[in-house]
Amino acid sequence: MSRTVFMQGNQACAEAAIVAGVRFFAGYPITPSTEIAEILARRLPQIGGKFIQMEDEIAGMGAICGASLAGVKALTATSGPGFSLKQELIGYASMTEIPMVIVNVQRLGPSTGKPTAPAQGDVMQARWGSHGDRGVIALYPSTVRETFDITIQAINFSEKFRTPVILLLDEVIGHMREKIVLPAVESIKLVERKKPTVPPDEFLAYKPDEDGIPPMPAFGDGYRFHVTGLAHDETGFPSGSAEITNALIQRLHTKIENHKEEITLYQEYFMEDAEMAIVAYGVTYRSAIAAVKQARKKGLKVGIVKLITIWPFADEVINKIAKQVKVVFVPEMNYGQLVNEVERVAAGQAKVISLPKVDGNLFTPQEILSALEEEVNRRG
Amino acid sequence: MTLEVNKIWCKGCYICVHFCPHQVLDLDEMGKVYIKNAKQCTACGLCELRCPDFCFTVSKETQGGTEK
Repeated sequence: MSRTVFMQGNQACAEAAIVAGVRFFAGYPITPSTEIAEILARRLPQIGGKFIQMEDEIAGMGAICGASLAGVKALTATSGPGFSLKQELIGYASMTEIPMVIVNVQRLGPSTGKPTAPAQGDVMQARWGSHGDRGVIALYPSTVRETFDITIQAINFSEKFRTPVILLLDEVIGHMREKIVLPAVESIKLVERKKPTVPPDEFLAYKPDEDGIPPMPAFGDGYRFHVTGLAHDETGFPSGSAEITNALIQRLHTKIENHKEEITLYQEYFMEDAEMAIVAYGVTYRSAIAAVKQARKKGLKVGIVKLITIWPFADEVINKIAKQVKVVFVPEMNYGQLVNEVERVAAGQAKVISLPKVDGNLFTPQEILSALEEEVNRRG
Repeated sequence: MTLEVNKIWCKGCYICVHFCPHQVLDLDEMGKVYIKNAKQCTACGLCELRCPDFCFTVSKETQGGTEK
């Protein structure tokens, strides 16, 4: 049965994690993500799960790597400074293909920054924060209800594609309370990781199926395997072969790229007849859609694309938009990050205008509307 | 006296090669350890002791049998 509740984004994230089957949380509390840890500290032991507060964010990542290898769906939550600390082990989890979700409730940085001021400054860090080359999935909800759905989606993607998934939240979404209707638990589709079907003596831990994803037993299932961040062959042991290394790094990308259509989540509004478009994500989408509605009243043909999947970048979606409209606006609560991706894909087909904001405040719809009107006036 | 190497566990860190007092060991073209000069091994056990990935088993014959 569906439930009507009044909750903040961080609570929606924690509740969704439980619904999705997460039974292990390890981390270190940090504003503005603390409620996720706080709620899971209370809820997980009630349902047979485990909560551990570690000595720091690095240890929190290590613990969820271990828990996931032991066969449990695992999640951690942090904010910018903790997200920086977690980067090495996020790369380790990519290399060793351990499913998990890392929630980053962003605050203004760099460094300690402004602990309760919203910002969208970790968009590129989610993609490139850990060293080396690998495919990355990062999702970005814009409402409390969407936080619930997308947290489940993040866990499902991580289990399906055997990769760490980054869930980026805005401070404002994390702390804002909204009345939402949660779906009936029975109606929610959950993904469980693929288990090996071969007998243990024939098992190769990193031998992918046709979809590029190797089945994953839990430690203790009877399948013995070696886990290393070193470049490894199908047995999981280190390899010095250039050929094997190449195949591994390629597969860390292609196992995500080959399923891009399934992974790319986005929504379009007012795009049918649009001559200008806004590309927005997270809480900035909410300011932008208000601006679009006001602009429509004034007769401006503006549409909006909301990106929920930030990484892999929605090349096909943006390419289609860039072919259709003359101008694409990219409002972001950072110095201009995802706009570079939009520009790359637009490749001159449409003019791309960056609307950066780094003062720790939200966009007002008026700020975005003014930018739209200014461009219209400039064009005459 | 025997020196056994479990090559697949090797990550090619060179610790054994450098610690071996008799130049018994080397790495192959794939960066994996191999026994280059088995005859020179004195079963001192340094490779077994130093290897971070437990690749070596050194056994030494004694009067009471084989000591690992």
